[in-house]
Amino acid sequence: MKKFFSLGLVRGLIWQIIGTGIGVGIVILIRILMGLPPWKAEPATVFGALLGVFFFLAGVGAFTDWFKMAKGEEVEEMPDESHLGAMRYFGVSLDHKVIGIQYMVFSIILMSVGGVFALIFRTELAETGMQFLSLIEYNTLMSLHGIVMIVSILVGIAAIMNYTVPLLIGASDMAFPRLNAFSFWVGVPSGLVILSSLFLGGFDTGWTGYPPLSVRAPLGMQMFFLGVAMVGFTSILGSINIIASIIRLRAKGMNPFRMPIFIWAAIATSIISLTATQLIGLSFEMVMFQRLFGMGFFDPVKGGNPILFQHLFWFYSHPAVYVFVLPGLGIISELLPVFVRKPLFGYKWVAMSSLGIAMVGFLVWGHHMFTSGMAEYLRVPFMYSTLLVAIPTGVKFFSWVATLWKGKITFPVPMLFVLASIVVFLLGGLTGPPNATISTDLHLQDTYYIVGHFHDTLFGGFMFPFFAAVYFWFPKMTGRRLNEKLGKLHFWLVTPAFFMLSLWMMRIGLLGMRRRIADYDPALQFQSFHQVMTIAGFIIALGVLVFIINLIWSAKKGEPAPGNIWNSRSPEWQVPSPMPVHNYGRQFEVVGEPYDYGLPGSTYVKFEGE
Amino acid sequence: MAESNYKSNKLIGLVIFGLLAFLTLVEFGLAIYSTSWILLTLLAIIKAGLVMYYYMHIYRLFTPDNDTNRHSYAYKLVTNRLGLWLFMLSDAFIFGGLLISRFNLMGLTRPELSQPLGLAVTSILLVSSFFANRAETSMGNGDRRQFIISTIITIVLGSLFILGVLGVEWQLAPFKASDGVQGAVSYTMTGFHVFHVFTGVVFLGIVLRNTMHGHYSQEKHWAVEASVVYWHFVDVVWIFFYPALYLIGTIH
Repeated sequence: MKKFFSLGLVRGLIWQIIGTGIGVGIVILIRILMGLPPWKAEPATVFGALLGVFFFLAGVGAFTDWFKMAKGEEVEEMPDESHLGAMRYFGVSLDHKVIGIQYMVFSIILMSVGGVFALIFRTELAETGMQFLSLIEYNTLMSLHGIVMIVSILVGIAAIMNYTVPLLIGASDMAFPRLNAFSFWVGVPSGLVILSSLFLGGFDTGWTGYPPLSVRAPLGMQMFFLGVAMVGFTSILGSINIIASIIRLRAKGMNPFRMPIFIWAAIATSIISLTATQLIGLSFEMVMFQRLFGMGFFDPVKGGNPILFQHLFWFYSHPAVYVFVLPGLGIISELLPVFVRKPLFGYKWVAMSSLGIAMVGFLVWGHHMFTSGMAEYLRVPFMYSTLLVAIPTGVKFFSWVATLWKGKITFPVPMLFVLASIVVFLLGGLTGPPNATISTDLHLQDTYYIVGHFHDTLFGGFMFPFFAAVYFWFPKMTGRRLNEKLGKLHFWLVTPAFFMLSLWMMRIGLLGMRRRIADYDPALQFQSFHQVMTIAGFIIALGVLVFIINLIWSAKKGEPAPGNIWNSRSPEWQVPSPMPVHNYGRQFEVVGEPYDYGLPGSTYVKFEGE
Repeated sequence: MAESNYKSNKLIGLVIFGLLAFLTLVEFGLAIYSTSWILLTLLAIIKAGLVMYYYMHIYRLFTPDNDTNRHSYAYKLVTNRLGLWLFMLSDAFIFGGLLISRFNLMGLTRPELSQPLGLAVTSILLVSSFFANRAETSMGNGDRRQFIISTIITIVLGSLFILGVLGVEWQLAPFKASDGVQGAVSYTMTGFHVFHVFTGVVFLGIVLRNTMHGHYSQEKHWAVEASVVYWHFVDVVWIFFYPALYLIGTIH
């Protein structure tokens, strides 16, 4: 029992509850002192939740070292925590590999939660009329599905980047290990704050939270805003670490064009999340202030402008989809040459295309607002800038196809997922231009076609590459490989079912099915389509369940894989698995090109003393 | 040599302060006679450039490492600087977003705030920036006594600024936070900024306390540099907020 309470996570959760209580108490006290009626739900809950997050962080120990520094005490530079064993995964650890695995587990948990929400409201949609959900319950589940999945993806890319970036560049850890731990831990209580909206009346705006609806929504809305604004710090602080590590801690000889291609993707994605994330935080804070203090930002009666919210919101939320997909596309480019045994085609172009997507991504947010009443003259420029994104993305596709061409292809599970992501992302990409073109978008806006489109891009750009990355690097994390048979089962359950789901989504979207709605007219005759989608959704869930079982089972009983099982040239595979505590005992020097597979006599890295 | 270097650094700090004060007065005077937002923006950019170069030493980011050992203090110092600047870049986006919101909602009108008071708090922050710079310069030359005096003055002026905004400005303003967009805009902008000033004061306070306990040295004082650079960053934000809130446009 004592051991249980010594876990950082448990202490954090207890302190979060205490902190929330204290926050509520403070607001009541202030209101009494000001002579107001003591209880007003909104300020009390918001301040309580905010304080709860900080108490969690203090309880878990994310501030401990910083407090010591502030007091002028010495802190240990690179503590060796390996004696703690599995315990270190439940508390603050400074090791980027531990943090990466923490992120991964957190991401899979959130993914499961968001998936369960989807299953519930998908079941409701299988039949017309409302069967077992009330309208607000449906709306809350639908909105939470969106935001929980988005947080899960942000956490998921942080997982991949945290685990692999220092390994790929040959660093012993991130540039700022404490900040790294803080970035992870701030996500946990914030995720709980978002989920707490379920019990505080929910909210009915979808994940976009547009005012004026969000100004009138139940109290759960505030928890959504606060939670997302706090989760933003995970992204912001994490990307500071990624950028600083990549600039400062690369191995000797690793000049920019000899970096692994995934590093380019990580840089591009970090530039976006470093800067743009602040604006979603700001827009959400502005709505929070409007609700709390009656500020008139988005209230036309007071001279405010609801469209401003959409501009601020999409200035982050569109580039955010590139935050979601760029690491995934980087994973595809990173893994493809390993399983094709051929050099990556057009390395420099692929590297530049990641940056290109990130840069163009800043200029396209208006395409979400073609029907919103945004200034007319902005429409056409946003249409063209959006279509421009196809060029760097096309570069990536050409590179993948050319890399596959005449390769000696093998099909272990990671490669299956890589191939599936290429196909699925192609489908997602090709369904994009109709949304970017104003004339067609006016019809497609707010239909299931859009839903199908972004599920395709996010599955192709994040989910499948994430699965591939986990199958690929799992031996590096644990020293055991994931079961191939279960992996294949996972793949063959998820992939066909996903095609069924997303193609049917687009089809009924074109036929006129509105998105976000809880019910539809039986005369539309969409029941059978919805039933197919519901069944497909459950099959995907079954596949993910197989994946989770595989993870748990293989971590203990999987086939041992201490060596370079994928025959990769990357430095992390040249040392035994699982990775030693401070990564590389001997430093290495980069002496060749990273992806010269199949070229005789070429080496990428040379370790000291070789 | 070191002694003359110290003197010339102090002199640069003083000259830049004079220049900034002059430009601020030009801004103030300009706003009386003209409503040109272009000139005021230009002046703000020049002021911000001066602060970023001479007070925040942005060029230090681009100096090559003289020690390539990853675990040496010198190498880590440069990494830390990069991290701080990335953080400030990120933070700048939130203030940029506030400025965009201000101009989107209010256009070329401004909230009904007292202009003399605006000039007063701006001057306070400007003088504090001068003393922050002096503090860092003296620490870099091992002049601990001068450092402590300058830091205390900076903290006092910073606290005065907070007091001026929260205690005077917010109380005297003829509108409440819930009164139209001018309330929303001015309370949010000053609120975000005052919060940053407050964190800066706390940061400087910690550094001051640790110095009194004898923690930093002429060679190793990253915390001092960080707190001072952060202080200047908050000042740069105000360089843009000041014309946006007090000078540009006509009263709402």
